[in-house]
Amino acid sequence: MAYSEDHIALAAEYALGTLDAAERAQVETMMAVDVNFSALVQAWEFRLGPLNQMVGLVEPRPELWERIKAEIARLRATAGVDPEAVAEAPVIVAAAEPAAAESPAADTPKLEAPGVEAAEIEVAQTDAPVETAPQNAPVEAPATAWRNASAVHAVTHNNANVVQLSSKVRQWRAVANVMTALAAALLALVGVQVYRPEVLPQQLRSKPRIQTVEVKVPAAPQPSAQFVALLQKDAASPAFILTVDATSKSYTVRRVGAAPEAGKSFELWLVSDKLQKPRSLGVIGGSDFTSRPVLSAYDADTVSRATYAVTVEPEGGSPTGQATGPIVFTGKLIETVPPGR
Amino acid sequence: MLTPAELVWLLAAVAKGDEAAFERLYAATRAKLYGVVLRILHRQDLAEEVVQETYVKVWNNAAQFNPAVSSPITWMAAIARNRAIDLVRKRGELSLEDEPSALEVAAETPDPLARREMSEELKRLLECVGQLEPDRQKLVLLAYYNGWSREQLATKFEAPVNTVKTWLRRSMMDIRQCLGLG
Repeated sequence: MAYSEDHIALAAEYALGTLDAAERAQVETMMAVDVNFSALVQAWEFRLGPLNQMVGLVEPRPELWERIKAEIARLRATAGVDPEAVAEAPVIVAAAEPAAAESPAADTPKLEAPGVEAAEIEVAQTDAPVETAPQNAPVEAPATAWRNASAVHAVTHNNANVVQLSSKVRQWRAVANVMTALAAALLALVGVQVYRPEVLPQQLRSKPRIQTVEVKVPAAPQPSAQFVALLQKDAASPAFILTVDATSKSYTVRRVGAAPEAGKSFELWLVSDKLQKPRSLGVIGGSDFTSRPVLSAYDADTVSRATYAVTVEPEGGSPTGQATGPIVFTGKLIETVPPGR
Repeated sequence: MLTPAELVWLLAAVAKGDEAAFERLYAATRAKLYGVVLRILHRQDLAEEVVQETYVKVWNNAAQFNPAVSSPITWMAAIARNRAIDLVRKRGELSLEDEPSALEVAAETPDPLARREMSEELKRLLECVGQLEPDRQKLVLLAYYNGWSREQLATKFEAPVNTVKTWLRRSMMDIRQCLGLG
């Protein structure tokens, strides 16, 4: 996908660091929904990164390491989710081709260091480094446990993470305000990922494990309003990407974060000041994609302005029809130009 | 400082949950990352907080590191810089009075390795930065090293914010072209 100069400049300024908070949030949203844009940003970060060689070393206090170890141990202690969930969640990484083309493995290690084996040099140039890395670290089990810890962290520490809805709303308005035509191209990509994965190269396709609940998937995308929201607890950790098709009144949720804890379910809610209380849009996150044509009960304005919130509920969803668990992720929709433009 | 290849190896081990490798990675990179974020944040408590978050993220996401598109230290420094810049943008701008200390943060330990061996990438990048007008060079480097916003740069260069925005954009595009990327 070719990016406009606006995209490239935005990615560059993100890497340089000169964007304001709302623009940074915008870029982070775009990175989360578009691996190629994420690659573009990372290419800039890599390009500018050598400047850090000129920064002098400053030793932090020794207790910093103790704090880091304690934090990781704390995360580890909360482990206990389905290990597959984390491994299979599509991770936003920048392995996409355009960036690879733009930034060849420039930092090829030099051979000056004694004791560096040729095999290790090779690692730096391969495309699938982690799997082919030297096998000197055979500690598999703890890896799984530690990593799960971070995933479950998002869920189990929900008291700390309960989001202030109003501030989230403000933040998302700010993001929406700065969303420009830039979003169109990448949103088209998301639309294609959801609706026409077969036209994308393999790397861009989402794993099509679709949980079907009377999914209404248009055969060819009609030019209709498309909306997208990142449901997250902070800008750095999106959990779900929500897309809404205004014509079919359906939504699709793509899981990018953790699966729910064993015995729990994530439930999606529509929160609007036009409604007396949040309305359930069903349980989500049981698989990579969840689609439901359940928005026809709401007018377009309500759908587009609502806050979407995810709560942790007993397995299968709230027994009462009202949210019983804490809000763990929220987001607002951003309107985008239809893919059929 | 270890070589990039050694850091790649350590990150691969960290991705598999190797705590000893994580400790070695920390020992090899902490002073660089702390130096980078301290320049932006000027405060020990904030800088430590950001470095802590960075290493927790490195521990969790080491498997996402791809040596084909980045170097370990650049990848880690980008995580740290992004956290630091998010923090200063959200807290509101630091005042310009902070500038003097920004330029000579703490007593920077001389970093012989980093100063002695400038990588080929750095030389090329600096060549390209060097082709910008002197003011633009300063603009780009102040932005990168000190994490300054457009508003702060506008004050410093006594220019409207929109002009600074244009300068930044043009400078980045010039650098891109100079590096042969477009």
